[in-house]
Amino acid sequence: MAKRMKYTADPITMQVIRFAMEQIADEMGYTLVRTARSPIIKEIMDITCAIFDDKGDTIAQAHHAPMLLTGFELTMKTLARHFGPKDLHPGDVIISNDPYMGGQHIMDVQTFAPVHYGKNLVGFVGTIAHQSDMGGMVPGGVAGGMTEIYQEGLRIPMVKLYKRYKENEDVFAIIRNNIRVPDNTIGDIKAQVASNYVGIKKIQNVYRKYGVDVVHNCVRRLMNYSETRMREGLRNLPDGNYSGKAVIDNDGVTDDLIPVQVNIHIKDDTAKVDFKGTSKQVRGNINCPIATTYAAVFYTMIAVADPHVPPNSGCYRPVEIDAQEGLIVNPTLPSAVAARTNCSQKIVEAMLQALAKAAPDKVMAGSHGQISTCGFSGYYKGKRWVYTDIQGGGAGALPTVDGKDGQDSHLARFMNTPIEAIELEYPVRIERFELIQDSGGPGKHRGAMGLRRDIMFLVDNVSWARYGDTQERPPFGLFGGKEGTKGRFYLIDNKGERRARSKGVSFLNKWDIVSLRLPGGGGYGNPRKRDRELVEKDLLDGKISLRSAKREYGYSKK
Amino acid sequence: MRLGIDVGGTFTDFVLIDDKTGETTYEKVLTTPKNLSVGVMKGIGRVLKMGGATMKDVDYVVHGTTIGTNALIQRKGARTGLITTDGFVDVLEIGRFQRPKEGLYDFYARNPEPLVPRRWRKGVPERVDRNGKVIRPLDEEAVQKVVKFFKREKVESIAVSLLFSFLNPKHEKRIAKVINEIHPKAYVSLSSEVSPEFREYERSSTTVINAYLQPILDRYLQTLHKKLNKKYGKVDLRIMQVGGGMMTPESAIGMAVSIVNSGPAGGAISGSYIAEHTKNPDALSVDMGGTSFDICLIERGEPTISTEGKFEGFPVKIPVVDVGGIGAGGGSIAWLDVGGILNVGPQSAGSDPGPACYSLGGTKPTVTDANLVLGRLNPEYFLGGGMNLDHKLAEKAINEHISKELGWSVEESASGMIRVVNANMVKGISVSSTEKGHDVRDFGLVAFGGAGPLHAVQLAREIGIPRVVIPMLPGNFSAFGLLISDTRHDYWRTFKQSVADLDPKRLAREFLKMERKARRQLKAEGVGEKQSKILWTADMRYQGQSYELNIPVKRSERMTTKEMKKVMNDFSKLHQEVYQYSSPDEEIEIVNIRVRAVGKSPKLKMPKMKKSTKDAKQALKGKKKVFFDETGFRSTNIYDRSKLRYGNVLKGPCIVEERMSTSVLIPDSTGEVDAYGNILVKVGGGR
Repeated sequence: MAKRMKYTADPITMQVIRFAMEQIADEMGYTLVRTARSPIIKEIMDITCAIFDDKGDTIAQAHHAPMLLTGFELTMKTLARHFGPKDLHPGDVIISNDPYMGGQHIMDVQTFAPVHYGKNLVGFVGTIAHQSDMGGMVPGGVAGGMTEIYQEGLRIPMVKLYKRYKENEDVFAIIRNNIRVPDNTIGDIKAQVASNYVGIKKIQNVYRKYGVDVVHNCVRRLMNYSETRMREGLRNLPDGNYSGKAVIDNDGVTDDLIPVQVNIHIKDDTAKVDFKGTSKQVRGNINCPIATTYAAVFYTMIAVADPHVPPNSGCYRPVEIDAQEGLIVNPTLPSAVAARTNCSQKIVEAMLQALAKAAPDKVMAGSHGQISTCGFSGYYKGKRWVYTDIQGGGAGALPTVDGKDGQDSHLARFMNTPIEAIELEYPVRIERFELIQDSGGPGKHRGAMGLRRDIMFLVDNVSWARYGDTQERPPFGLFGGKEGTKGRFYLIDNKGERRARSKGVSFLNKWDIVSLRLPGGGGYGNPRKRDRELVEKDLLDGKISLRSAKREYGYSKK
Repeated sequence: MRLGIDVGGTFTDFVLIDDKTGETTYEKVLTTPKNLSVGVMKGIGRVLKMGGATMKDVDYVVHGTTIGTNALIQRKGARTGLITTDGFVDVLEIGRFQRPKEGLYDFYARNPEPLVPRRWRKGVPERVDRNGKVIRPLDEEAVQKVVKFFKREKVESIAVSLLFSFLNPKHEKRIAKVINEIHPKAYVSLSSEVSPEFREYERSSTTVINAYLQPILDRYLQTLHKKLNKKYGKVDLRIMQVGGGMMTPESAIGMAVSIVNSGPAGGAISGSYIAEHTKNPDALSVDMGGTSFDICLIERGEPTISTEGKFEGFPVKIPVVDVGGIGAGGGSIAWLDVGGILNVGPQSAGSDPGPACYSLGGTKPTVTDANLVLGRLNPEYFLGGGMNLDHKLAEKAINEHISKELGWSVEESASGMIRVVNANMVKGISVSSTEKGHDVRDFGLVAFGGAGPLHAVQLAREIGIPRVVIPMLPGNFSAFGLLISDTRHDYWRTFKQSVADLDPKRLAREFLKMERKARRQLKAEGVGEKQSKILWTADMRYQGQSYELNIPVKRSERMTTKEMKKVMNDFSKLHQEVYQYSSPDEEIEIVNIRVRAVGKSPKLKMPKMKKSTKDAKQALKGKKKVFFDETGFRSTNIYDRSKLRYGNVLKGPCIVEERMSTSVLIPDSTGEVDAYGNILVKVGGGR
């Protein structure tokens, strides 16, 4: 009989189990992306996957959007309250998309499955995928102007989608009946389930190899380790109270500016975050469910305190969040939430302004601060199509380097969809996709440039539901760095070019062009102190104009 | 005879093999980075002399070179321009807009800067639509203006990547003509020729890398060619490609992007050769050297080919041998992170200063130092005695950087280092295997490279792989792949069609069109009909998916519906295997069709040993104390590999030493030497 290695819960085994769990989370994400149908999952990759312990604490996350990751745990814990271990059987899958049960927005469908080892419930696996349509008032659920969650789509409470590996036909039937392109969406939901099942199998292998006690001890150790690191990072920030404020353009219903204020109280190795000064919940759909608010806060705190800490529940422990119910950052039923990203991005921006005072060398100047989401839909050859286009913009400059042109910032980790993939699938033609000259905020380090994307339609009667932001107030500069540029949406038709509201629904005809101009990031430090070489490089590359070189950077030809 | 030359970062390897006897001669010289051909010429002279041969005895020379990889890593490629459809010059810089996954919370994590700066990326008015129809004619005046500008700017290589050119290359071809007229010295790379498939960013990235490397490769090959001609007269030179075959120097210059990473591809070919010859048709080949650990999945005796590679952070859409790599090798440095947790790599001490025990000034603890402390390396027999290892320096480095901080003994720290680096490798192997849907528990593991056999058996146990193969001369094994490679050319293009609506005869016609091109190429390279092999495959998916599976299509000039059904069935089966589900009712579509033309190289005959006894006592060098996780330090047999004979059985734990490598057989593993000198290890004690 072969001798077996006796594993103990030592720091080495902890590291080994951590690698294994991270790998499994990534494999789950990989399965989901590879089997999905909608571009928003398979090309844009607006998804995530995570592994939880039996109490719902996060052990490991796939390398996807932090926006979904750090808020995921809240949903998971709600589930753990709803279903006791006795209610959960091997092969069960629970589905939900309810922002009022710890979810994000209706489009973000979440599936969870219990992981059993032997007879015991040892943990959970979860997936989130942004579905391209969940019914509701407009395709893709993204239009501004909606005022109640009921308009945003089918709201699924926590129910079993699979019972002991068997499809729950009733739930599938309800979903199928309420959505616009059921074949794709049902396929995508099944891809989520496949990903859950792949995760379970792999986690069971880890338990088999190390035994329940060793795995659990190592997981506890791992979380404590992350907590220690996070505390160390917070301790390095000077004690004090720091406030920052950002502004959302409007809620899509009225034109009022909406303040988001974050107050951060650093003491020793802890941080307390409150939202005094932040707007109450609003009528429009930009309210930010608590899970998304948590995500924004934790994302920023980790990025500033210790960006390379293993991201798990331990990181969250030293940070206390006080978000009063009824504020835009913790809305109550039936507030509409579909365009919540506008608010969550602004939470990050406000926090960075606050933290700039505490740690000027660890923050980023203002980024595009929004996610322009456009849902286009119509009929082509008698068939319904829904095409969701998601775009960021320029990132802010950093204390030692420019914002990276053509690379996203904060929270999301999306890919754009290839132009040729879009045109092969939908009756549209992309006319332009490029960086905008002079859009990066001037500074010793320049903000990243904004983007322009022009989309032409080849059929009549196309609806354009959308939300964008940072079209009223530009991204902020830091320490002498100047502001970036505001975003703009234009509609170009046979009457010429005119601005379209940042949030709303319009109808388009054949040959109309929607032109998205996405915001450019803010600069860092006095632009007059920028290296001459860098100014000349930007000039040669047409990233700045000669006029801007002279006016902003004091450039003159030698 | 065949001669293989593999230029690496530190050493250039030479291997000369006699087709008839299988007798092999190896030589190594230092790489001469300033002028690679100097080291190459020197080594050729030496290896021929050692093998008692002249160039006249050599049928052909296969050359693997890192010149492309190095130019890319060091950003020392040509001054390159890019012409795109007007309005899309920034596609190359925006890419897919995604932040790198290594830094989800790190503001400083960033993708690489594009190889072509914005000033040399120019758009020209033109447009082809999704049906391949020209909807805006090419503005030739604009093209002329751009080319004149490039000429003034001394741009020496021009990439052209227009939207939908894979459906209609007319405009790209016209631009090539204009470039030839105005700037005839410029190199030209057309996306419709380099990578004719959809997704504009990936296609542009591939084409730009091709343009970036073309002049460098051309100049190098011309120099080498001249020197070879002068010294040896006519030499039949072939170039190794990342897709795993060889090609003529002319083809290589046209497809310069395909020489990047060809070294690891050669290693994978070697691995698959041994895998098949030791009856492990499904295997993983792992090559562990000083800085990196390269992994390739082998199926049915062939290395897996992927159609989506990534070089230096840039996507590359050409067929590549699917070699995954992580930064783990003998030189990988152990360090404690801010929270005091042990990590190993990806930083490597390389060969200069190298591990602490090399006594070359390195002070940081490396994997090699840990192996030495644990008794697994022989300090007097490293590189066959060519280098003495200093046990004390290894202990000191581990003690100072790890043990003192953690309060552990040096041995505990060393064994921890090995466990962590092994865990990294296990993770790397999962990415290359289980993440792609393979259950490796009935696979073999072929391990080579200087450090591979030190770790392989332990790794196999961790993953649950039952068999390990340690080939002869594992330290030189990678270059061997050059000599067993076939001539290969790949042709492909996007051909997007729903299978249900597709006329099988039309599909056959499309395949045949590419096949004719392929056959012409093989013929031009002197490959006879008999050695030629043509393979058809199609990239397929369920309608609406974004990723394809590659399915073999039986070659048939008059394809029938029945044959199409078979292809669809094969697709469903593979989908089930990889993703654990298939949907028989859903529509399946073809996205790309591919023709691979292979010119088979004559098979090599390897020398066989006579069967000897089970007992390996003739090879026993002695005993010493070696550390194993299962037992701690224990007295262990040390064998001399060069004295092992066919049929010898080695009971673990034991150590097998040879000039360029050391094999560790852990407790509960058993090795047997086969007729060719390979050690076949059965791994016990797994799960």
